[in-house]
Amino acid sequence: MANKSVSKTAGTKKSFVDRMGGQQFIVLIIVIVMFIFFSAMSPGFRKYTTVVSILDYSYYIALMAIGVTFPLLTGGVDLSIGTGLICYSLIGGLLVRQHGMPVAVGMIVTILIGVIFGIINGCLVALMDLPPFLATLCTCMITRGFGAFVVGGYGIPWPAAGQDGGWFRSIFKIQVGGQNIPIGFLWILLLVAIMSFVLNHTKMGRYTRAIGSNKEATRLSGVNVKFYHIMAYVICGLFAGLAAIAYSAIFATVQPGSGAGFEMDAIGGAIVGGVSMSGAVGNVTGTLIGVFVICLLKTGLPFIGLTANWQQIITGFVLIVAVLIDIFKRKKESGK
Amino acid sequence: MKKKVLAVLLGGCMVAGLLAGCGGGKEASSDNSSSDDSSSGGGDYTFEVVVKSFQSTYWQAAIQGIDAAKDELGVKVNTTGPNAESDIADQVNMLNNAISQKPDGIALAANDQNAVLDSLQDALDAGIPVVCFDTGVPDAPEGSVIATIATDNEAAGAVAAENMYPVIKDAIANADGQVRIGEVNQDATSANISGRGMGFINKMKELIEADGKTVAVIGNQFYVDQVENNGDEGSADVIIEVAVPAQTTVELSATEASNIMNKDDTIAIFGSNQVTAEGVLTANQNLNVLAATPDEGIVGVGFDAGATLKAAVADGTLIGAVTQAPVDQGNLAIHALYDYCEGKEVSDIATDSYWYDASNMEEDDIAPNLYD
Repeated sequence: MANKSVSKTAGTKKSFVDRMGGQQFIVLIIVIVMFIFFSAMSPGFRKYTTVVSILDYSYYIALMAIGVTFPLLTGGVDLSIGTGLICYSLIGGLLVRQHGMPVAVGMIVTILIGVIFGIINGCLVALMDLPPFLATLCTCMITRGFGAFVVGGYGIPWPAAGQDGGWFRSIFKIQVGGQNIPIGFLWILLLVAIMSFVLNHTKMGRYTRAIGSNKEATRLSGVNVKFYHIMAYVICGLFAGLAAIAYSAIFATVQPGSGAGFEMDAIGGAIVGGVSMSGAVGNVTGTLIGVFVICLLKTGLPFIGLTANWQQIITGFVLIVAVLIDIFKRKKESGK
Repeated sequence: MKKKVLAVLLGGCMVAGLLAGCGGGKEASSDNSSSDDSSSGGGDYTFEVVVKSFQSTYWQAAIQGIDAAKDELGVKVNTTGPNAESDIADQVNMLNNAISQKPDGIALAANDQNAVLDSLQDALDAGIPVVCFDTGVPDAPEGSVIATIATDNEAAGAVAAENMYPVIKDAIANADGQVRIGEVNQDATSANISGRGMGFINKMKELIEADGKTVAVIGNQFYVDQVENNGDEGSADVIIEVAVPAQTTVELSATEASNIMNKDDTIAIFGSNQVTAEGVLTANQNLNVLAATPDEGIVGVGFDAGATLKAAVADGTLIGAVTQAPVDQGNLAIHALYDYCEGKEVSDIATDSYWYDASNMEEDDIAPNLYD
């Protein structure tokens, strides 16, 4: 099903690709069904403003998820993106707020620190052979403490819309005739297109998958495995930096100590979208669709009157089902 | 050999991670707790302070009060606290460490009233007096807590209701059908938030019923269960809808707020702490419904301060907010410990909460408590 939406991917077997198209298609249907369901159940949900809100709250998760797709494809993971996002945003925001730097400089610094932590993660994993889970758990703790340390515990409000430097908020949302237009979604689509191309049509993408599929064989075939392995984490760090910008632009105040758990929305989204925890399988389009499953759950469940506990229970079950589909298909494939 | 190197690296990384993860708050605080030797008479006391978190600027304001008391009294104060208010185990560890330092006294703002009970017993056994500030520990072992310095949260919630009601009174009186008042509470577990939430609900219910209308409280079960003589949702004149987000993030608070603010019959909404009040404001970015009167839109009231909230009150997006007195609380906690060590009598103090709006934000008794 939906084979035509699949792009050709060198370096992976055709059967993998078939399957991914399948899962992506199913998940897209699920997104549409969920949207129709919540719209039917709640008059508040089917308003334009709610759609804008869902998009607003999806940008930072989507950006983190696009990035984390790369470490996931190498068979690793990056748990530092959630607390990292807050850390980078705090430091960038501090430069703007307390040191009077232009917002553009704050944004560039924010992204650069993301890249630096990506390099650190990459080196820990690729050069020093730390298990990705452990390495990025450590940087998760480091970024959480470091962010709070740098700002001395104070929350950082990036300039509000209308204030000096508030222009950066209109990267994601502009007002036309009193109506909010969520243009951030276009940037997300553009980035998904670019990263899909990188993943499917460049050496970077092919080797990322190859590392996840069989690292030793990839090394033996003459690929500079260490470099490409590090680069997967650098891309992830870069996107965590971009996510930090998105977060700062949508929300009023960035609070130190927060951010733990954001990575689970992003990783969960990627997995729902068909990225395999064991590497090699998955793509960025799937990730984006998966993120919307998570975002719709987060927004939709409160709207149909389900309270906090139910929201968590249901989200947990959805993730289990998504992972089970992956495992089930893998077993079926290897069995025959 | 390679394995050994790896093991050392792993160990080093974990230690580094632990230091950074758990000690971030401590490091952050070390600036505030410099053990200067500016003792100006009196006893040369050392006090340990354990705050709820370094996450919110609220605690920075409390630390400001603590530092002021430190300088006034010439005592040594060491302040610690976990990264987030949900890090209950971390805080208990910090409290235990504080006790093992054998200070002359401990000031504690407990994240969980039950988790600290054993530690308080240890402090009692070690003869270390404890002052609870911000949050009391009702079941503390007899004699361990010498004084509690806290906001009367029920009263603070009531302050919000008392100031919101005059603005929406006419809208309730003249309504054709049901009208709805929303409340977003960060959680249903901490005594502060639930006290505040119930304080608002009870006072609002009382005010509305005094004017001859009926009220039904719906939404989060924890809050609804505590309401006495709850009205019937179908026939009540006024619905008070209580929402609690699944996690304490601005985004989920905003989603809960959007849900209420999207309903056609909503006339007012209250966010009962900084995170939920910012959630109301975030929701309003897209909805654009907050207004000064119910005729124009939805009347919003916040709680606590922070730059974002202050700006929203100053420009009239929120009609006002309630602030506690964190500076006073920190200050009074150290003073209480000092007085106790000097052999004076100490007793519980309920600190005030203040209503602030665009007109009185700059006044002397309000401004110091409006932290950024």
